[in-house]
Amino acid sequence: MLIRLTIVTLLGIVVGIVVAFLAISFVELVLWLNDILLVSPRSRMLFGNGYLLSFLTVLIPTVAGVITALILQKIPEKRPHNVPDAILASQSLSKKMPLKTGVLSSTAAIISLGSGASVGQYGPLAYMGSFIGSWISRLFGGNYYLGTIGIGCGAAAAISTAFNAPIAGLIFAHEVILRHYSLRSFAPITVAATIGYLIANHVMARPPLFRIEHFQLETPYEFFGFILIGVAGAFVATLLIKGILFSAATNKKVMLPAPIKTGLAGMLVGIFALQIPEILGIGKELLRFSIIEDAFTNYELASILFAKIFLTAICLGFGFAGGVFSPALLIGVLFGALVAGSLDTLAWYERSHIVIYAICGMVAVAGPVIGAPLTTILIVFELTRNYDIATAAMVSVAFANLISYRVVGRSLFDIQLVIRGFDLSLGRDKVIVEQRKVEDYVSTNFLSLPKDLSVSEAQQQMLEVEKSEAYIVGENDIYFGKLSIRQTLILMSDQDQSEVRIQDLAMQKALQLAPEESIWDAMIKMEAFVGESIPVVENGYLKGVVFEATIVSAYLNTIHNIREEENAAG
Amino acid sequence: MQRARLLNVIVVFTIVVLGVWTKMPLAQDALTIVTWGGAYEESQRKAFFQPFTQTTGIDIETRQYSGGLKELREQILSGRVNWDLIDLVSSDNLAACREGLLQPLNSVSLLTGDVENDFHERAITDCGIGQVIFSTVVAFDTRQFTGEKPNQIEHFFDLETFPGKRGLQRKPVAVLEWALMSYGVPKKDIYGLLSTPRGLDLAFKRLDQIKKHIVWWSEPEEPITMLSSSVVSMTSGFNGRFFDARINQGAPIQTIWDGQIMDISTWGIPKGAPHSDDARLFIRFATGSTRLAEITKYISYGPARKSANAAVGKHQQTGTDMRSYLPTFPPNYEKGLTADQEWYSHTQELIEKRFEKWINDK
Repeated sequence: MLIRLTIVTLLGIVVGIVVAFLAISFVELVLWLNDILLVSPRSRMLFGNGYLLSFLTVLIPTVAGVITALILQKIPEKRPHNVPDAILASQSLSKKMPLKTGVLSSTAAIISLGSGASVGQYGPLAYMGSFIGSWISRLFGGNYYLGTIGIGCGAAAAISTAFNAPIAGLIFAHEVILRHYSLRSFAPITVAATIGYLIANHVMARPPLFRIEHFQLETPYEFFGFILIGVAGAFVATLLIKGILFSAATNKKVMLPAPIKTGLAGMLVGIFALQIPEILGIGKELLRFSIIEDAFTNYELASILFAKIFLTAICLGFGFAGGVFSPALLIGVLFGALVAGSLDTLAWYERSHIVIYAICGMVAVAGPVIGAPLTTILIVFELTRNYDIATAAMVSVAFANLISYRVVGRSLFDIQLVIRGFDLSLGRDKVIVEQRKVEDYVSTNFLSLPKDLSVSEAQQQMLEVEKSEAYIVGENDIYFGKLSIRQTLILMSDQDQSEVRIQDLAMQKALQLAPEESIWDAMIKMEAFVGESIPVVENGYLKGVVFEATIVSAYLNTIHNIREEENAAG
Repeated sequence: MQRARLLNVIVVFTIVVLGVWTKMPLAQDALTIVTWGGAYEESQRKAFFQPFTQTTGIDIETRQYSGGLKELREQILSGRVNWDLIDLVSSDNLAACREGLLQPLNSVSLLTGDVENDFHERAITDCGIGQVIFSTVVAFDTRQFTGEKPNQIEHFFDLETFPGKRGLQRKPVAVLEWALMSYGVPKKDIYGLLSTPRGLDLAFKRLDQIKKHIVWWSEPEEPITMLSSSVVSMTSGFNGRFFDARINQGAPIQTIWDGQIMDISTWGIPKGAPHSDDARLFIRFATGSTRLAEITKYISYGPARKSANAAVGKHQQTGTDMRSYLPTFPPNYEKGLTADQEWYSHTQELIEKRFEKWINDK
């Protein structure tokens, strides 16, 4: 007990330190690339205007797209891994996060972000934290629960470091990745999040990513406005989610080599940037302008809002590596500012500073997209340290999540996992059991009978080895069917039938399983099944059997593991 | 650490001995330092020049200039360089270095102490070693605001709460930064935002609000006269001048440190300087913590290194505690922004054009 406690705490400390430094390096590297690749406005200004700048603005993201796609070809699934992979790894207990895929995905994300693609950095940061956490937990000789804790610690440390927000990091790991709050994981994750915060804040003296001065709420009636932002924000979030999914689906249908497709997406980013240079990259300047009164007209806000949604969908759908959270934050801020600007046309509406509306918009879009209302509220609270703003944001995010859950689902991550065949809304047990394959449970402890035996001979053999079930096979174990002792008894009672060959009686249509089917599929098929074992058949050949008891115990074992992980105290 | 210090002492001692031995007999071999004249040069004379000559026996001659690179360029082109060391504003230092007019300096072997952590983050460049930090600030006439006093940079643009004319230098320096700060833009984001058309638009939009109340100045002593004669209630100006007016002359002037735009005065050695080695020796001597703390006895410029700021004491003439009058005093420093000279050197033409157009509009 004490040893286990020491190990998990130590895991939290090590993961916290390693991930915090890696996260800072990641962010610094992206900023540096933004400067040399003419993404940041300052570097563009220093470069000077002219045709060369325009040419490079289009060329750089195009080339970056090609490079990103070439890197991603080296990953087995040919796509960047991201937060959904961390969620799946932690939810399914058994899956490890491969180090090589992690490094390749993070490299691709740094290149995408560095060259100004319209993607986010927090997803890749949280994912990087997770696979590093998973890897370190393996160095600790970890079993499945240590692996999950490692993943949670890494994600928490990354978010805590990036936002300077330790509580948000802690909640993010539980709300988005682990999806439960056990005491055993709570302590090390808290340690990791705190270390990330300390390193970002004190050791490296990193400034917060964006700061918001203090503002107050003018009238309580404005809460109606915040509810409105929440409701409408849910639809903006839906548009973004659907846009990304549609773009990804379209990408699959376009029959071109991946580097060309991602390169073209990059070119589109460059072309848009010729008109709106601020649209490049994470859009820190846009974010800042949106919270200044009168920096934009409503028309400008609406145009940039849709351009950003469009480009984010194109970039993420067509193979750039990156997250969705930063674009969602920016789109939300633009949307909140647009609502504030629109409310100004109502003469009787008195409103507070635009920053409160922008932040409500930010959480109303970002909350539903990542399916993490608590995390977004805490990020706002830790960044602003302002109760008025956090309370307003809370109202917006609550309504936004309520509606978006009904319209699209819990989050973009969950929808992406459903597309890959893992539906977390049906419960963790299903996800885990779905990943366990029948072939791992096949037994060869069964009786097979040649197809040309007679019923009496078959019965004789079954009684000799005390089996109530037998499998009828031809040459090379070609499967013909199943025979039960009960069947032979009925047939033997009729003199004419006792010499019939068993191949004519075999219950061909009886239940059978393929090796690649999951235990979950087996359970569904078993619902109306009576008997001991089910044949496992591949391409017409009998591979073995699985016993009903094996399947039931595999399921119960999973449930036990989940319960143990979710309720463990130490 | 101890060993490094001992090594430093030995190095300085050897250089000094060699310097004394080789240079002493040749009177015409004085080190020629180019600086700005006035009270500033006087303070340098007391804190740097005289002690240097006393320690090393190397004489110092000074020449005065008013910034810019014209003369330096001419000397180098003609091949007759007779300057050894120049006190340059950091933008000139960066530009001169890019043009190849200055010698590259290896800060680690040249300077004393923990160079990387002790100096201001922008003090050390390829051809420059920062020494003191001065700033452009806003100051106000205390007689005109008897109730609530302005203390934030946005108050400069707030004519309702703080009425009166505003004095501004007729140059787009510091004022665009202040305009954006008045929107609540954090200091680290200022130059990023000013690099976008929208950021510039916003800055000029803010200036529009006070345009009719601006009184322009061009000579550095004008802000003092404008405040003393009640022509304006608030004005921009240089922190050293405001200090002098208040402490030495008792003028009713108070400085708003919020939004101070700091710049660094740097040493640079021209290519082909006749006494490069002596110039290096001088830089090492004059950027030491003791010397940098010493200069604050005579002028309100902040040392460019932390250890020197910790040793700041009282004003020689009046006994005023100097700390709160320096741009580098931590509470003042936190409210300020160091001018991004690289940004200035690339954008000067564009920004000046835009500024002049704005002045002439309407």
